Amino acid sequence: MTPLLLAAVPVVLPFACFLLLGVVWPLRHTGRPAALLSSLVAVVSFLAALFAWEGAPGAGEPALTLTQAWLVHEGVPLAEVGLRLDAVSASMLVVVTFVAACVQVYSLGYMADEPRPALGRYYAWHSLFVVAMSGLVLAPNLLQLLAAWELVGLCSYLLIGYYWTRPSAGKAAVKAVWVTRFADIGLMSGVVLLYAQTGSFDWSAEASPWVAALLFCGVMGKSAQVPLHVWLPDAMEGPTPVSALLHAATMVAAGVYLVVRAWPIFAAAPDVLLVMAWVGGVTAVVAAVTATVQTDIKKVLAYSTCSQLGYMVAGLGSGEMLGGYFHLTTHAFFKALLFLAAGSIIHAVHSNELKDMGGLWSRTRFTGALFILGSLALAGLPGLAGFFSKDLILEELFHAGLYGPLALCLVAAALTPFYMARVVCMAFFGRPSPGAEHAHESPSVMLAPMMLLAVPAVVAGYGGYTFALSLGLDYHFALTPVGIAATALGLGGIAVGVARYGFGRLEGIDLPGVARFVRSGPMDAAWTAGWRSVFLPVAGVVGWVDRYVVDGLVNLFGWGALVLGDGLRGLQTGRVRDYLYAVAVGAVVLAAWGVVGGAS
Amino acid sequence: MSGPGLEAWLGLAGVMFAIGLYGVLTRRNLLAIVVSVELMANAANVNLVAFSKFGGHPSGQATALFALALTVAEVVVGLALIILVARSRKDLHADGLQELKG
Repeated sequence: MTPLLLAAVPVVLPFACFLLLGVVWPLRHTGRPAALLSSLVAVVSFLAALFAWEGAPGAGEPALTLTQAWLVHEGVPLAEVGLRLDAVSASMLVVVTFVAACVQVYSLGYMADEPRPALGRYYAWHSLFVVAMSGLVLAPNLLQLLAAWELVGLCSYLLIGYYWTRPSAGKAAVKAVWVTRFADIGLMSGVVLLYAQTGSFDWSAEASPWVAALLFCGVMGKSAQVPLHVWLPDAMEGPTPVSALLHAATMVAAGVYLVVRAWPIFAAAPDVLLVMAWVGGVTAVVAAVTATVQTDIKKVLAYSTCSQLGYMVAGLGSGEMLGGYFHLTTHAFFKALLFLAAGSIIHAVHSNELKDMGGLWSRTRFTGALFILGSLALAGLPGLAGFFSKDLILEELFHAGLYGPLALCLVAAALTPFYMARVVCMAFFGRPSPGAEHAHESPSVMLAPMMLLAVPAVVAGYGGYTFALSLGLDYHFALTPVGIAATALGLGGIAVGVARYGFGRLEGIDLPGVARFVRSGPMDAAWTAGWRSVFLPVAGVVGWVDRYVVDGLVNLFGWGALVLGDGLRGLQTGRVRDYLYAVAVGAVVLAAWGVVGGAS
Repeated sequence: MSGPGLEAWLGLAGVMFAIGLYGVLTRRNLLAIVVSVELMANAANVNLVAFSKFGGHPSGQATALFALALTVAEVVVGLALIILVARSRKDLHADGLQELKG
C-alpha cells in the first residue's frame, strides 16, 4: 500500500465507525461493542499512520497529495479538498492517532461504569474526533483546515458536555465554543483575506502580514493563549480521557500546528512573530502562576497545558519552526500521560480535589510512578522528553535576541517543576484523606496505555535530530548557558516544591496573596465586565439596526402589499354584470387600440 | 351566385353580437343571459360561414360545425349550473349571486 492510502485510513476508517455507531443504534446502545469497535479502529488508524509516516516524503521531496476539486465554477475550482502527506503532517498524524488510540483503550476501563447508551455516544464522538483531527492534520490547504478546525471544536463541545446532566458541564461546553468562536472571527477573516489577496488557500501563498495576524487570533483561542485561555480550565468538566486527548495533547495543539503548517505566511511577518513570542511568554508565566494554587488536580494540569502551549507559541515566535513543533509532539506524550495518570487517581478516590488524595503512593504504585515520570518529563529533567524540546525553545529565543520572552519562559521553567512537585506531594505523599484510604490500583486496561505513553515521554527527546532532519532543519543538542540556567531553575523548582509541600503540611501553605487573587478568577471577571460594558451595548445597537432597519424594510413591503390589496378589493363586487361590463369595456378598448395602432 | 353579399352577412353578425352583448349586460335573469351569450356565439358562427362562403375555403364551415357542437356542450353545462342555482336559491336573479366578492 502506498503511504498516501495508509494516511487515508485514519480519516476513512473512524468515519465509517462514526457512521456505524451513529446510525446503527442497537450497536451504540449496547455500549461495550461500540467501545471495542471504536478502540480497534483507533489502534488500526495508529498503525496505518505509523507506516504512512515511514513512507512519507522527506524534506525537499514533493508532498504526496490526493485531492479533489471542490466547488468548480466555470472550470476553476474554489479549492482542493483531500489529503496531503508530507514530513510535517505525517509526524503530527502519528502523534494524534497514537494518543487517540491510547486514550480510547484507556477509556474502556475508565468509562466502564457508564450507562451503555452513554458509552456508545462517547465512543461515537471519539471516532468523529479522530476523523476531524486527521482531516485537520492532512489538510492540503487552509480551507479544509478551517472546516476540520470547526469539526474538532464541535467534538470538543460535545465531549466537554458529556456529563450533560451537570449544569456546570453544559456551561463549560458552551463557554469553550463561545471563546474559541470569538477567536475564530480572526481566523475566518484571515482565510478570507488570504483568498482575496492571493486567490488561493495555499499556505505557501504570498500573503500580507495581516493574514498572519488574523490567523494568529484563531490560534490564540484554540491554543488557549492569554487572555483567551479562560475556556480551557473549564473544559476539565469533560471526562478525564477527553481532557487528555483533546484538551492537552491534540486539539489545543491544533493552533500551534496551524502556525507550523502555515509557516511560510508567518515567517514573512516578523511583527506578528514578535507578538507571538510575547503572548506565548506571558501565557507561559500567567498560566504557570495560576497552576501553583489550584486545588483541583485536573485544573493544575489544564493551566500547565496553557503554560506549555505558551512555550510552543513563544518558540514559534522566535522565527524558528522546529522548537515549537518539537515541543508540541513531546508535550502531547507526557501531558496525555499525566492526564491519564490523574484520571487513574480520580478513578481511585472518586474526586478531583487534591485534598481528597494524599498518601496514594503505597496504594497506587504504578500510577504514581507513571505520574511522577510524566511530571519529571514536563519539568524538563535532563534526559527526559520535555528537557530537549523546552531547551530548544529557549535556545531559539536566545538566538533571536528576544530576551523578554526568554526571561518569561525561564520563570515558567522554574514554576513548572514547582507546581508539579506540589501536586505529586499532595496526591501521593503525606497523610491519606478518608477517601484515599480505600483507593485501589486501576485495571490493566488503563495502565497499559499509560505505560505505552510513558515510552515516548522518556525517549521522544532523543528523536529530535531525526525529527529536524525530516523537516529539512538542522538540530544538534548542545548544553549552553541558557540550557544550564533552565535546568538549574527546574531542579530548584523541584527542590522548593518538595521542601514546601513534601512534609505533610498541606493546609494553607499556598502562596497566600497569589492564591486569593487567582481563586477570585480575575480573568473571568475581566471577560464578564468586558461582556457587559462592550459586547452587550454593541449587540444592542446591532440588534436595533436589525430589528428596525433590516426587518423594518421587510415589514414595509408586507404592509404595502396589504394596503394595496385592501384598496383593490373594492373592485371585486361579486356581481356578474360588473365583471361582464369590465370585459366588454376592455374588449372595446382593445379593439379601439387595435384600430388606432393599425392606423399608425 | 345570388343572394346578399359579404357585407350583409357581416352586418347581420354585428347586429346579432350587439343584441347579445346588450342582453348580457342588461338582463338580470340567468336564463336570459345564457340566451344572449348564445346569440353572441352564433354571431361568430355566422361570420365563420360568411367568410368561408366568400373566401372559397370550406374550413370555416367545418369550424362553425365544431363550434356549434361545442356551444351545445357549453349550454348543457350552463343550464345545469342554472338549475342548481334555481334549486338552492329559488331565484334566478343574477345580482343576487355575490358570495364571491372580495
